[in-house]
Amino acid sequence: MGIQKELNISPVGRVEGDLDVKVYMEGGVVTRAHAQASMFRGFEKIMEGKDPQAGLIVTPRICGICGGSHLYCASSALDTVWKTTLPPNALLLRAIGQATETIQSIPRWFYAIFATDLANKKFANKPLYPEVVRRFAAYVGTSFQKGVVASGRPVEVYAIFGGQWPHSSYMVPGGVMCAPTLKDITRAHAIMNQFRKDWLETLWLGCSLERYLRIQTWEDLMEWVDENESQHNSDLGLFIRASLEFGLHKFGQGVGKFIAFGTYLSKDHYQHPTIEGRNKALISRSGFFDGKNYSEFDQMNIKEHVKHTWFETVPAAHPWDEPLPTPMESQNLAGTDFSGKYTWSKAPRYNNMAAEAGPFARVLMNANPDNLLPHQIYDPLFGDIYDKMGPNVFTRTLARVHEAVRTYENINKWLSEIDLNGEFYIKPEERDGKGFGATEAARGALAHWIEIENGVIKNYQVMAPTTWNIGPNDDSGNPGPIETALEGTEIEDVNDPVEVGMVARSFDSCMVCTVHAHDQKSGKELARFKL
Amino acid sequence: MANVLWLQGGACSGNTMSFLNAEEPTVVDLVTDFGINILWHPSLGLEIGDQVTQLLNDIVQGKIQCDILVYEGSIIKGAHGTGTMNFFCDRPMKDWVKELSEVASYVVAIGDCATWGGIPAVEPNPSESTGMQFLRKDKGGFLGADYVSKGGLPVINIPGCPAHPDWITQILVAISTGRIGDVLIDEYHRPKTFFTDFTQTGCTNVVNFANKIDGGFGKRGNGCLFYEVGCRGPMTRSSCNRILWNRQSSKTRANHPCLGCTEPGFPHHQLVKGSIFKTMHYLGFLPKEVPDGNSKLGYYMRAGFEKTISVVENVFGNEPVSHQSSK
Repeated sequence: MGIQKELNISPVGRVEGDLDVKVYMEGGVVTRAHAQASMFRGFEKIMEGKDPQAGLIVTPRICGICGGSHLYCASSALDTVWKTTLPPNALLLRAIGQATETIQSIPRWFYAIFATDLANKKFANKPLYPEVVRRFAAYVGTSFQKGVVASGRPVEVYAIFGGQWPHSSYMVPGGVMCAPTLKDITRAHAIMNQFRKDWLETLWLGCSLERYLRIQTWEDLMEWVDENESQHNSDLGLFIRASLEFGLHKFGQGVGKFIAFGTYLSKDHYQHPTIEGRNKALISRSGFFDGKNYSEFDQMNIKEHVKHTWFETVPAAHPWDEPLPTPMESQNLAGTDFSGKYTWSKAPRYNNMAAEAGPFARVLMNANPDNLLPHQIYDPLFGDIYDKMGPNVFTRTLARVHEAVRTYENINKWLSEIDLNGEFYIKPEERDGKGFGATEAARGALAHWIEIENGVIKNYQVMAPTTWNIGPNDDSGNPGPIETALEGTEIEDVNDPVEVGMVARSFDSCMVCTVHAHDQKSGKELARFKL
Repeated sequence: MANVLWLQGGACSGNTMSFLNAEEPTVVDLVTDFGINILWHPSLGLEIGDQVTQLLNDIVQGKIQCDILVYEGSIIKGAHGTGTMNFFCDRPMKDWVKELSEVASYVVAIGDCATWGGIPAVEPNPSESTGMQFLRKDKGGFLGADYVSKGGLPVINIPGCPAHPDWITQILVAISTGRIGDVLIDEYHRPKTFFTDFTQTGCTNVVNFANKIDGGFGKRGNGCLFYEVGCRGPMTRSSCNRILWNRQSSKTRANHPCLGCTEPGFPHHQLVKGSIFKTMHYLGFLPKEVPDGNSKLGYYMRAGFEKTISVVENVFGNEPVSHQSSK
């Protein structure tokens, strides 16, 4: 019989916000896990009774990393209530804002948050370890600084159109505030080009974008890694080789169900925004994948559960029908009873199923060959990778970085499509009603639901990708995706359970993640997690 | 050389993201060339779990010197003053902040949440949030009006939602190089070097402001956003339009009304109906708030005169100068 342990890590670090994870272990294997979000600000409550456009200013400030994504949702939600008309230019400039924020996040997240874990001494006996440390060690790694500096480039393009990043509110119902000129477009192209030359092709890929985009299968990818020195030794090449050598593909599987709301509304297909017309207008597709079959995304299938949330218990409900939350008494981790309420996060469910949101979900939807429209992305790679390896720490991270090339190409395409003679904003008429706006933040599906009554906000509900992933048990006791992904994780050294942090960070939850491990039988805290 | 501890309370990490955009010096330059030793940072720190708790305890007990405590996010006092809506390392964050601010040489509040409460503190303030030493315009906040750090200064406020990376890096460098004595602060504890001039200084629309020409969304470069869409550039102190954001632009240069986020009280008017991207008016046409340095009556008379002149010019057929701008 193995040694029973419980681990407490508080905080796990290098994720945004505050998250505690308590894991129970037996024989070096995680048997049960609970995720606890430990900070509450009450943004939805703050918006009640306020100006209908309050979300444009307030919601980007929910998350400084995904601020542009919140803005994309907030403006879209108002578009559907006010029945705006959106000029093609506005749709392009909103998509460019979303895409530049996402591509910024790829090197910033990879180098500053994820890859420093690969330099953990746990992997010191692996042959690639010295090279990984040389490149990815925090601050001093040769790629660390270049990657972090390069990550600032794409948001310079965001600033050209939005004034600044983070925290612009340039997307408004009816369009965008700016009316760029040719010099803005040219400069934006030039900045993206510099990003490609400084990082994307040189440091990251070691090949041209065209070469990379020919990869369609897992075998193609492996062939790409070994094709030449330049690709083999690029940061992506090293990441792939090190991940397989370090065994990152062996843990962190998750719930095996995936949700994406999709993003980038096509300039030609969403000039009259409606909730019903949204799926067909998306360039990066929405959908639900249950591990075998795809189904069309319908926001009406979503309900949030609060039985285990520090909010007054109400029946699970669709966001339009949910009351604004009433906070209850909360506890620190040691004082928490996990059979009761234990987190500030709600538990979203799609047709009563927990689902993983994030880049992996997104690239899976883009691998769906059915019902594909000409303006939509089709990329079979992750359909193949899913079949061969499934979701795990490695493939989840690979999905996030894989999007860099296609996102880059789209930004350039959309910049070139802006019609300088066209409109950028059509003033809408304000009205009451219900709205829905959604996108894919860098880290996954994000949506806002709004109800306006008597010209002020009656109800505003925000559902972040992190809510999907770190949410607690639902009303029926089914765990959330990170809780599930941690189960079965083998901890090589209970005094250094880096695996737990890596699983949490592979979901890129926007929370500072704290892991606490506990004995399966007695529930007693046996060891404290140190890294 | 300065040891920096960076903590986040009721935060969105926006100031950290802004900080990571820093150039000349970059965040890495700060560490490698400017003697900034980051003891811990929630996004960048390598220590996790107990190591962080241990570090905090060592700082509180004086075993490790904390030269600069950087705090991002509001101080969450809820529920009912307990701080239990924001636990960190097993304790309410506010209790850590209280103890750490007693031992830190300097305390720097970064962003509106840390300086004056920001958006979390908007009514009904569900988390009982406050700033470090102010709640909106009122001095006091969490640490009290009389608080001074061991270095002899009150909390240094670097407001903005988020703060510009230059404002952050330059203050950190000033402290680490022993030049904090050269940093003068104003009545809201803001370094005067960044927050004396108005946001309007350097705005490309300043001529349209003077000529009372209205601007609006989606229009190319020929109107001021003060009159209709609520720009607060004339009454907000910041260097946004002189140093620019992300090396490219600023809100007002990108036709985005200034939200006044470096002034205590942001978001202004507590987000009430009619306050978002609309200029609030008296009698249906007079701006409720007038540019700083003007009496209301004086401003209305001057503005009214200039507006009238342009109407008269239109009536009498004086061709106004064309304002069409290049695309």
